[in-house]
Amino acid sequence: MYRYDEFDARIVKDRVEQFRGQVNRRLSGELLEDEFKPLRLQNGVYLQLHAYMLRVAIPYGQLNGAKLRRLAEVSTKYDRGYGHFTTRQNIQYNWVGLKGIPDALNDLAEVEMHAIQTSGNCIRNVTSDHFAGAAADEVMDPRPWCEIIRQWSTFHPEFAFLPRKFKFAVTAAAADRAAIAVHDIGLRIVKRGEAVGFEVYVGGGQGRTPLLAVLVNDFVPEAELLDYLEAIMRVYNRHGRRDNKYKARIKILVQELGPEEFTRQVEAEYAAQHPHEKIDLPQAEIDRIHAYFAPPAFDAEDGTAAFEAAKAAEPDFAQWAEVNLHPHKQAGHASVTVSLKPIGGAAGDATDRQMEIVAGLAERYAYDDIRVSHAQNLVLPHVPVKHLYAVWQALDAAGLATPNESLITDLIVCPGLDYCNLANARSIPVGQAVQKVFADPKYQREIGRLHINISGCINACGHHHVGHIGILGVDRKGEEFYQISLGGRADEKAAIGAIAGPALKGEDVPGAVKRIVDTYMSLRTSPDELFIDTLERVGADPFKEALYAAA
Amino acid sequence: MTSVRPKLKPETPKAITAWETATGKSVWMTEAGTWSDDVSKAAAFTGEIAEARLGEALKQEGQVTDPYFMEVTESGGITGRETIRETIRATGPTVAYGASA
Repeated sequence: MYRYDEFDARIVKDRVEQFRGQVNRRLSGELLEDEFKPLRLQNGVYLQLHAYMLRVAIPYGQLNGAKLRRLAEVSTKYDRGYGHFTTRQNIQYNWVGLKGIPDALNDLAEVEMHAIQTSGNCIRNVTSDHFAGAAADEVMDPRPWCEIIRQWSTFHPEFAFLPRKFKFAVTAAAADRAAIAVHDIGLRIVKRGEAVGFEVYVGGGQGRTPLLAVLVNDFVPEAELLDYLEAIMRVYNRHGRRDNKYKARIKILVQELGPEEFTRQVEAEYAAQHPHEKIDLPQAEIDRIHAYFAPPAFDAEDGTAAFEAAKAAEPDFAQWAEVNLHPHKQAGHASVTVSLKPIGGAAGDATDRQMEIVAGLAERYAYDDIRVSHAQNLVLPHVPVKHLYAVWQALDAAGLATPNESLITDLIVCPGLDYCNLANARSIPVGQAVQKVFADPKYQREIGRLHINISGCINACGHHHVGHIGILGVDRKGEEFYQISLGGRADEKAAIGAIAGPALKGEDVPGAVKRIVDTYMSLRTSPDELFIDTLERVGADPFKEALYAAA
Repeated sequence: MTSVRPKLKPETPKAITAWETATGKSVWMTEAGTWSDDVSKAAAFTGEIAEARLGEALKQEGQVTDPYFMEVTESGGITGRETIRETIRATGPTVAYGASA
């Protein structure tokens, strides 16, 4: 994991003290809300329905025991004993008082964490594959490049006031677990021989105008990456619209110019960079950052026999192991998904106690490495197989072992109108009601991989556009309605879902989803044909028919 | 400043709600012009009096943030097209959270 140097530590501490002064002036009435709002947003502080909300950055979802334990402590001390992990791999606290926030940020700074650039029209947290450094299918660990981009984009003076917010995602695997096609810039690390480079996708996003990113360059060599990114950012900073918030994202610029013209402008900007302004990242610096992400000293002991024996003896463990483990590049290891999706819970929420338990497990059994996934779960990326049973027992006792990773109850759900000042409808209760229909773990496994994503408004924090089944809450004259879309996907075959028809009342959503699933089960050629594959094979019509059959 | 909320006619009864600046808690203006975190203490205003009271609220920036009109019945109960949102602001999330979830 990257460790702060003296400069990092200094700028984070200085920022806390600067914000403390701003908070004090707001509390005294010296600063008005109009003046204070842009300042608080630059420190991750929103004003939601019930309280201030503090969003803390978790760069590329990377945590360790000390950091997660501190996140737990902050929730105990300044909030109501829980936090919400988000689709941007960050954490949000829902109940903080303004007065306490500088102290909370100070506590976080002690473990090298902060809330800088978690809001505002700047480059936000860089997200990545939650199995980075562990996945069997990656060409290399993408985290060093996430860290390099993080350092480049932190307090970058030229990009502090962009037309709109800006989000990066980076993957290095064939299977895209970072949803790079729906980010402002999506990067896929590829190798040509021994040379490392980047496929650069630009202009993806969700929100009210969902668009998939377009490929602007299929191989930017690693030393040139930051210069190339600067060229893209400059084209956007110069031509991105500032007159209309809804047309201000880079995706609109790419769409309005067309991919060819946009690419031409980027290439022209890149070619025009003066030699002395080039960053030309030195290999020594690339190597220095990579060294922070060296793999742990993996345990060589083969624990397979004990693992198999435990599965044979304990069916619940076997079921969890079948669903919540991911293949690891190192023999004798697996990546564990710690489900934050218990049936009837709020997706992505974890209590202080649960965070402490996961922190302890990481330290004791899993090389002190923890990730947040964009699907709002936690991940222990490196667990020796011989420890899986002990890890499962502890997770199970803490309500963290729901066997549902990527299954139908592993929903992505935004906070919705229960918390959010922008929401039009509630998301969490709808997600809970859908979960209850499919609560039986055996039934979920029979259905197989199926992603349901729910957003409480068109801003799409719940990624409804890229859910296999998407659910969008809308307001109809003061009543909550829900629009269903079908066929979205966030992976390497990314697609935006298509709206299936008229919106439904909340109470009709679980039944509608059940009919969609029943239709799939009756149409699939075999249990191996996933929902999304059946949908793509037969088209949406039979599903739409079923959806509205009894509604 | 005020939040962008639905426009209400002058004769429509309205309460004035805001966030307490120090805590972010939802608060409502009482008949006496003080602030309460109990929605049942919210006073209903109409016409010019309502506008005048909102004007006063806007001057109390250190104490409250973003005051705005919320539609209520004559007796002060939440009503209108923002009923769900305002009820949630008044009574909290409709789902259990934290250790009680």
